[in-house]
Amino acid sequence: MAGDNETGERENNRAVFAPGREGEWSAEQIALMMVPATPYSVALGFRYVSSSPGRGSILLPWREDLVGAAGSGILAPGAVTALIDQTCGLAIMAYVGNLAQPATLDLRIDHLRPARPGASVTAAAHCYKATRTIAFLRSEAWDDSPDDPVATAQAAFTLNRREGA
Amino acid sequence: MTDAADLNHLLASSPFGRFMAIEARVDERGVLVVLPPRDSLIGNTMLPALHGGAIAAFLEIACLMQLAYETDTIAPARTIDFSVEYLRPGRPEITYARAKVRRIGRRVATVHGEAWQRDEATPVCLVQCHFRLPAAAP
Repeated sequence: MAGDNETGERENNRAVFAPGREGEWSAEQIALMMVPATPYSVALGFRYVSSSPGRGSILLPWREDLVGAAGSGILAPGAVTALIDQTCGLAIMAYVGNLAQPATLDLRIDHLRPARPGASVTAAAHCYKATRTIAFLRSEAWDDSPDDPVATAQAAFTLNRREGA
Repeated sequence: MTDAADLNHLLASSPFGRFMAIEARVDERGVLVVLPPRDSLIGNTMLPALHGGAIAAFLEIACLMQLAYETDTIAPARTIDFSVEYLRPGRPEITYARAKVRRIGRRVATVHGEAWQRDEATPVCLVQCHFRLPAAAP
């Protein structure tokens, strides 16, 4: 399953936040900046976990105000949807860099079971194919173990890659 | 009959509903759900555009609201699956949504939703969802 060995392998704060000589940010720099540079991700409290070319993982820490049904303690499916969307974006950025301007074309999520009450949710995404114009991804989200996901997803994103990029 | 007050009560009772600051209205076509723009809903600061996840979450709630309205219950349905298509970027401005309940079975409901901004004829986002219905009241 995507992301099995990615969690926690990289520290959050080792980025050098400066563009390279050619004014282009490295895929790694982009990946590290992506969550803090996205207001909705900041508002939901997302935390970057890891990335490598074509893969990304983000944590949604449990928070009382992100619970769906009052008193359930279960993170709202809408918050998990946003997490998966962002994690797919991260996996693409870590693959092709920020100039590709990925935009979600479609996203299908199966909510396999409710997350455990009070549990944080982690998502991992894998961009398994990218053409010049489209990226295809699979993603899973889990609370306790990636082997027992709360949600699985399939997504396509549009890319705007320059010739030769 | 479930009315706008019941739906807004349902939204206000949900922590995530309050977080999103979504408002429900009821008119002759059903439920109209409104998402006021806020800086914290932005996904792309360069365009700028609303976060796709924010629009999707908004539409899921729109579908749930229409379902609650038609089934005349505020017992929460559970999302089974959710399919979203993005037609154009959502600008950082007021966003509206309506949903259609296409089928209500004994256990599962099929609901389609659309979100738009200035013009209902050019939607920014479409969703199709299946919901597990709450157990029928005795």
